[in-house]
Amino acid sequence: MTDESQLSVLSSVGAARRAHRRQSPRRRREAVLGYAFLAPVTLVLLALLGYPLVKALIMSLHRQYVGFDVAPFVGLRNYVDIVHDPTYWHAFQNTIVFTVASVVLKLGLGLLTAIVLNREFRGRGLARSVVLIPWALPTVVTVLVWSWMYNDSFGLVNHLLSGLHLAKPHSWLGDPSTAMPAVVVVDVWRGFPFFALILLAGLQGIPEELYEVASIDGAGRWRQFRYVTWPGIATVALVVTLLSTIWTLNEFSLIWVLTQGGPGDATTVLSVLTFKAAFLGNKLSYGVAVSATLLPIVVLLILALVRAVNRREATT
Amino acid sequence: MSRAVRTRTMKAERRGSAVRSGVVLALILIGVLLPVYWMVLTSIKPNSELYDAKSIMVVHHPTATHYVDLFATTDFARQLVNSFVVATSATVITVVVGTLGAYSIAHLRYRGRSTAAAGIFFAYLVPPTLLLIPLYTVFAQLDILNRWAGLILAYLTLTVPFCTWMLRGYLQNVPWELEEAAMVDGCGRLRALRSVVLPLIAPGLTAGALFSFTLAWNEYLYAFVFTNKSTAATAPVGLASLVLGDVFLWGQIMAGAVVTAIPILLIYLFGQRFVVGGLTAGAVKG
Repeated sequence: MTDESQLSVLSSVGAARRAHRRQSPRRRREAVLGYAFLAPVTLVLLALLGYPLVKALIMSLHRQYVGFDVAPFVGLRNYVDIVHDPTYWHAFQNTIVFTVASVVLKLGLGLLTAIVLNREFRGRGLARSVVLIPWALPTVVTVLVWSWMYNDSFGLVNHLLSGLHLAKPHSWLGDPSTAMPAVVVVDVWRGFPFFALILLAGLQGIPEELYEVASIDGAGRWRQFRYVTWPGIATVALVVTLLSTIWTLNEFSLIWVLTQGGPGDATTVLSVLTFKAAFLGNKLSYGVAVSATLLPIVVLLILALVRAVNRREATT
Repeated sequence: MSRAVRTRTMKAERRGSAVRSGVVLALILIGVLLPVYWMVLTSIKPNSELYDAKSIMVVHHPTATHYVDLFATTDFARQLVNSFVVATSATVITVVVGTLGAYSIAHLRYRGRSTAAAGIFFAYLVPPTLLLIPLYTVFAQLDILNRWAGLILAYLTLTVPFCTWMLRGYLQNVPWELEEAAMVDGCGRLRALRSVVLPLIAPGLTAGALFSFTLAWNEYLYAFVFTNKSTAATAPVGLASLVLGDVFLWGQIMAGAVVTAIPILLIYLFGQRFVVGGLTAGAVKG
C-alpha cells in the first residue's frame, strides 16, 4: 500500500526527528504511514489548488493577454487600475447586494422551513426529501427552469402574478431595476434547503425538556424561541451562514446563465466581471486581479468560520 | 401518528400553531415543486400548447418530440457521456485519496497533522473563480482543454477537500478500541483499516461518493471555460448553450433539463439517509 516513491519523499522529513522517534518503532511506523496516506491528498491540493493560487497572485502582477506568451511585470498596476475602474465598483456593489440579500433570505426561509419540519407529522420524511430537491438539482437546470418561468409572454411567473392580481406582466430579467431581485429569488430557491437541513439537525439536538421547563415557567412561543431555540442553534446558524456567504460571494454559474450579468451590467457581480475581463476582453491578468480582490474578505470569513467551528466542537 | 393525535387533542393551544405551520409547510412545498412540475410539463408539451397562455398549467397532448429532437439534433448524448465519465472518474479518485487523507489526519499521530487538516479545510473554501484563470493557462500548456483529463483534474479541487473533510468527521466518531483490538489480535494496521474501520464508516464513504459525483455532475464554470467544442462539453454546458444561443427551444431545453436532473434526483431520493448524514458531518461537525 505504501508505495516507495512516497516513502523516499518522506525520508527527507528530518534526521533530527528520526532520532527522537527511534525510541518508539510503533510511533515511527505510525508517522510514516500518516505521511504516506497524506501524500495523495497533499499532492492534489498543492498541484491543483496551491500552485494555481500562487500563480493567480503572480499573474495579477503582470499584464497577460490571451494568446501572448510575453507578460511584462507591472507591479500593482492592475490593482491601481481596478481602484479607478467604475465598472469594478459597480460590480463590487452588485456583489454585496446580491450576497447580503440572498444570504439573509436563505437564512430566514431556511429557519422557517427547519421549524415547520421539526414537528412530528405523517409524511415528514417525504417533505424533507422534497425540500432537498432545489439544492440537489444541477444549477444549470434550476437556472434554465427559472429563465423559462420568467419568460415575458409564456412564463409561469407572470401567469401566476397576474392571475392572482399581484402584478402586471413584466420582463423581470429584462428590466434593470428588477433583474437583481429576480436573480436573488432564484439563488434563494436553490440555497435555502441547505440552511433548512443543517438548522433542522441543530433543532433536533435541543432537548425536549428545555421546552417543557420554559413552558412551565410560562414562556410563550416567542420567548421559547428567543431563550431556548435560538441559543441552541445560534452557532450552527453562524457556521452555515458563513459557509453560504463565502459561496454566494463567488457565485458565477447561476447569474451568468440567467442574465450574463445584464441587462447592461445590472447583475454583473465580481465573478462575472472576472470572466468577462479574462475571456471576453482577453485581459487575463486583470481578470485574475479582480477575483483576487475578494480574497481578503474570503480569508476573513474563513477565519471567522474556523472560530465558530471550534466553538461548536468545544460545546458538543 | 398516535402522538400527533395526542398533541392535537391534549394541547388545544398548540392546535392553532400546528395548522399555521402546516400551511407554511404546504406553501414551501408548493414553491419547491411548482418549478419542477413546470419543467417536466414543458418537456412533454407540443409547441402549439407551449406558446399558448391558455394551457399554461396543463398538457392536452403529451409528446416525446422534444426528447427525440434534442438527441437527434444536438450533441447532448455525447455530452451526457462526457459528464458521466468525468464525474465517475473524479468520484473514484476522490474517495480513494480522501479516505487515505482523512484516516491520516483523523487518527494517525505525526508532526504537521493539524497544519494539513487546516490546509484541507481552507482548500474546501478557495473560490473557484480565483483558480479558474491560472488553471486555464496551465491546462492550455498541458493541452488538456477540451479533454476529460482537464475536467477531472479541475473537479478534484472541489471534491477532494470536501470529501476528505467530511470523512474526517465520520472517522472522529469511530470507536478506535475496535481497531486496537483487531491489531492486538495480530491484524496489521492496514488489514484493521480494511476490515474494521472502513466498514464502520461505510455510510460516510457512500455519502462522500454521492457528493463527489453530484459536485462534478452539476459543475458549470470549469466545464464552460475549459471546453469550447460542443462534443467536449458536459451536459450542463451543452444545455446552457441552448439558451445562450439565438433561438430558444424551450421544449428541448426543458427535456434536457429533465434528463440532466434525473441521475441526481435518483441519488438523492434513494440515498437521502447518507446525504443528510454527510451534510451534517461535513458542514457542521467539521
